[in-house]
Amino acid sequence: MPTLSRGRSKSIETANARLAEILVLPTWVMLIAVFALPIIGAFYLSFRNETLGAFVPARFIGLDNYIQAFTDPRFWESIWVTLILIVLALAVQIPLGIGLAVLLHRNLAGTQFFRTVLIIPMLLTPVAVGLMWRFLFDADLGVINWALAQINIHGPNWLGWRWPAIMAVTIVDSWQSIPFVMLITMAGLAGLPQGPREAASIDGARAAQIFFHVTLPSLLPVLLVIAMIRIIDCLKMFDLIFILTGKGGPGTATQTLGMLTYNTGFIFFQISRAAALGVLMVILVAPIYIMWRRATEYAK
Amino acid sequence: MPFTKTLFSAATILLATTTLSFADELNLFLSPSPSSTAIQSFIPAFEKATGHKVNVTETSYGEMHQKLMLSVQLKQGQYDVAQFDNSFLTPFGAAGTMMPLDDKIAASKEYDISDFGKGQQDYGKYKGQTLGLTLSTEPFIQWYRTDIYEALGLKPAKTWDEYRANAKVVKESGKGDGAIFGFGANVSWWWMTMVWSFGGHLYDENYNPTVNTPEAVAGTQFLKDMLAYAPEGALSATSDDATIKFFSTDIGAMVQYSGYWGMLNDPANQKHVGKIGTAPMPKGSTDVTHLAGWNIGIPTDAKTPEVAWQFLEFVLGKPNAKNYLNAGAAAIGRKSVITDPELVAKYSYLPVLDIPEGTRIERYPQIRVWPEFEKAAIDALAGIMNGSVEVKAGLDALQETEKPILAQENSK
Repeated sequence: MPTLSRGRSKSIETANARLAEILVLPTWVMLIAVFALPIIGAFYLSFRNETLGAFVPARFIGLDNYIQAFTDPRFWESIWVTLILIVLALAVQIPLGIGLAVLLHRNLAGTQFFRTVLIIPMLLTPVAVGLMWRFLFDADLGVINWALAQINIHGPNWLGWRWPAIMAVTIVDSWQSIPFVMLITMAGLAGLPQGPREAASIDGARAAQIFFHVTLPSLLPVLLVIAMIRIIDCLKMFDLIFILTGKGGPGTATQTLGMLTYNTGFIFFQISRAAALGVLMVILVAPIYIMWRRATEYAK
Repeated sequence: MPFTKTLFSAATILLATTTLSFADELNLFLSPSPSSTAIQSFIPAFEKATGHKVNVTETSYGEMHQKLMLSVQLKQGQYDVAQFDNSFLTPFGAAGTMMPLDDKIAASKEYDISDFGKGQQDYGKYKGQTLGLTLSTEPFIQWYRTDIYEALGLKPAKTWDEYRANAKVVKESGKGDGAIFGFGANVSWWWMTMVWSFGGHLYDENYNPTVNTPEAVAGTQFLKDMLAYAPEGALSATSDDATIKFFSTDIGAMVQYSGYWGMLNDPANQKHVGKIGTAPMPKGSTDVTHLAGWNIGIPTDAKTPEVAWQFLEFVLGKPNAKNYLNAGAAAIGRKSVITDPELVAKYSYLPVLDIPEGTRIERYPQIRVWPEFEKAAIDALAGIMNGSVEVKAGLDALQETEKPILAQENSK
């Protein structure tokens, strides 16, 4: 087989590299247009006092919008609410998702059917889910309190009180997200080698010991990725809260940082203040993103 | 002969093209609502009468105002006629979104502004300029179950004390819950009505909040007391939730905007058709009418403002007022409409739209920062209504929260 001279080979490589750059260029232009420019625009806006509600000449106001955010109790409360929702989501969804995955991984009778049924919530749009659950949670007409009443339990006014409302958001989010945790965990389980578990079994370990000391540690990289994805999802949770609790109610009980940013920008028309909140949100999400990258690398 | 034929054809085409260029296109910006449906029913007749083509863009309530403001600020000239909620009159006025219509109204016999009560003539005014015609007249009115009230020998309340007493009787009779307000995400609508009705105001002429005055405390306390006679879910009920509960369960009375009439008498939506009566809203220490409803006007960047006005005159003028109502719209409180025997027989709530002279008409507060002011109030009222904060303490805290918000109203 004839070989190319070193010089010719290099020039072909250079030409290929240039061609690749040219072919990638439209993608870069598109990415810059839809991601980079809006982010730069938001950053610029956050240092001004633009409002949509008036033709007042806008001007540069330095860090005022950031100072206002940090001194606004609503900002800190929204972060607190966001953190609570993240903690509750992880505490509920990961154990239940793993449990379901382990059950379905055993290929018991009806596994195919349950696997299909269980992923249905994941396929539904959050707005439809929110509307449906809003009726279910209704204190007067809802099925949930009716069912509780059948067993002599007086259900709370789910959407009228702070903690029941937070629980309601967690329940609905979990209903929709547990299938995701389950599916990824099942994929993780399918990829685990049988050897260590069989060895543990031969050594006399019980099923629970094998699960907690062999299977679960082996799944850790996958679980880390799941946890990071769920944290990011919770940080940007918006549509569900918008519908279910009426933009973060009762009061500010379920107003996350994303919801506060929306209210500030699109309800109060305070575009620059909303931009500052958006920038702060990006800063808060950044460490999670870095952790997610590391978890992904660890998983590999 | 062929030359003559060709010349004739060319002349015909030229004439057709010229005629087309004379006809303007009119772009309507509407929100899905009975009013929008009624407006659209007039389009074929308008197109036939004028030769203008009418296009419609419908946008949901949640985004329509922001979209319109952005469109006008960018001077896109996208819309010639735009529907908007009266609560956006001030932001629109401050931003110069809508064109003043006073000259056109004054010169229009067809629109006939004198057909409106004096208070209602000002409904679309911002700083003395009319930025929108009245597209619907929707005051807060009293709705009650005639079957329950008759069985218990009750009459519609004239005062808030009577309203509470009626609610107590209904609740204690076991026939249902006494009364309902929307105590959830829209609680501000009922709260400000109570504050006004008990003689208070939300802020003074210098934009200092006045939400913790004795009148405001009394109004808020009344609102909270009414929770005792409401269904349990009322605490988190939005305006729509409250209405759905009223027509799907047994509740003696409700105070709600008159625009819900169509919904409340639709057998597909509720099971109490024919058993619902209407009466004016009860009075507190002050005779107040909380007036709401849609406006419609011409954006400042409209491409064809004259044709837009022609369309508004055609649809909302006095000659078509009956047809407009019969097309399914929420009623406009024209004197000629609300006193028409034929219409009153068909729409029994129309007399309630006759707002008496001397009543204090309150619209949504005409301040730019109203959305932020309202949100702060809703947040505070959630705690007050569920009892986690005392009324006075909650309003004192709200007073402090509202100060910097209202201060923006004075800032340049």
